[in-house]
Amino acid sequence: MEGETKKTFVVTRFDPDQDEAPRTDTYEITVQPDWKVLDALNHIKDHVDPTLSHRWSCRMAVCGSCGMNVNGEPKLTCKDALSDYGDTVEVAPLANFPVIRDLVVEMEGFMEKFKAVKPWIMVAKERAIEEGTYRQSPEELDAFKQFSMCINCMLCYSACPVVSAEPDFLGPAAIALGHRYNQDSRDEGNAERNEVFRDDGGVFACSFANECSEVCPKNVDPSGAVQQAKLLNVIDWATGLVVSRGGK
Amino acid sequence: MLKLEPIIWLLFGAGMMVGGLLLPAIVLVLGIAGPLGFAPAEALSYERIHGLATNPIGRLVCLGAIALPVWGGAHHLRHVWIDFGGLKTDGLVGPVLYAVALVTSVAGAVAVFQL
Repeated sequence: MEGETKKTFVVTRFDPDQDEAPRTDTYEITVQPDWKVLDALNHIKDHVDPTLSHRWSCRMAVCGSCGMNVNGEPKLTCKDALSDYGDTVEVAPLANFPVIRDLVVEMEGFMEKFKAVKPWIMVAKERAIEEGTYRQSPEELDAFKQFSMCINCMLCYSACPVVSAEPDFLGPAAIALGHRYNQDSRDEGNAERNEVFRDDGGVFACSFANECSEVCPKNVDPSGAVQQAKLLNVIDWATGLVVSRGGK
Repeated sequence: MLKLEPIIWLLFGAGMMVGGLLLPAIVLVLGIAGPLGFAPAEALSYERIHGLATNPIGRLVCLGAIALPVWGGAHHLRHVWIDFGGLKTDGLVGPVLYAVALVTSVAGAVAVFQL
């Protein structure tokens, strides 16, 4: 077919039953001009080496499953055009996560961090159905909409130098998600979330390297969320010094 | 250290702002424009600057220009240290850096209010 080229893929492999440490396998395959990195991995698995393990699902940058390090940078492989790379492409699992097998990483700790920021709408008293819906203006929606676009692909955790140094750091996506609820006009849980944010490994552990926002495939700008969360947290903390919240 | 994070972060933010905006302006005026004669000599005369620096607001501005960037630098250095893998020693390095900032601030305050 026209535009076909050969590319060499250096893929990190790890089988916990056999390998002491990760190793690499090299595959030279013919790729189509419109292929993404994920297409090449699927081709390798289907036609060259069925033992290769990698996660993927939607192929349209919505599910967030196929995050990997491509040539050392965290990428959503279904969105990452092969034409952007030279003859050799290195594919490795996301950094800063335990590897289960080959390109598949353990997500458990990541999910725990999500739970820690209480990512749901908290209200002191649930509104009765007769009282109608919670209405929100376009401006109120704009305050958090961007931060709700995260697809949990974990690229930001792979890129973040603080996650690398402090495994307990809540991390960009979880803080952006907590901030998303703090900014939601229907929510009343700011004080509770801010306590989590203020804790060890919270927002103040961020050193503002901004790598999370650089790699985010959905333009969530988690780094912006973390900086906003810091400022709101300081205001909340200072207010707490003068005003008693009662019961807390 | 934990409960001090918000206040230290505020000092850091203010310090980086002062270090990024105010200090270059001061260097430009006092260090370059003055000596090279771009600024009128009488505007930078000893009496005039002394009057400015001993005015109550002037003293506070001087103290801010001295102390805030040091806090900004201390906090920044601490995070650079952690980013380069120094988390294990953060319990020692952090307090030392902040102590330097505190001592500098106190010394700066003494100097500024003795002018």
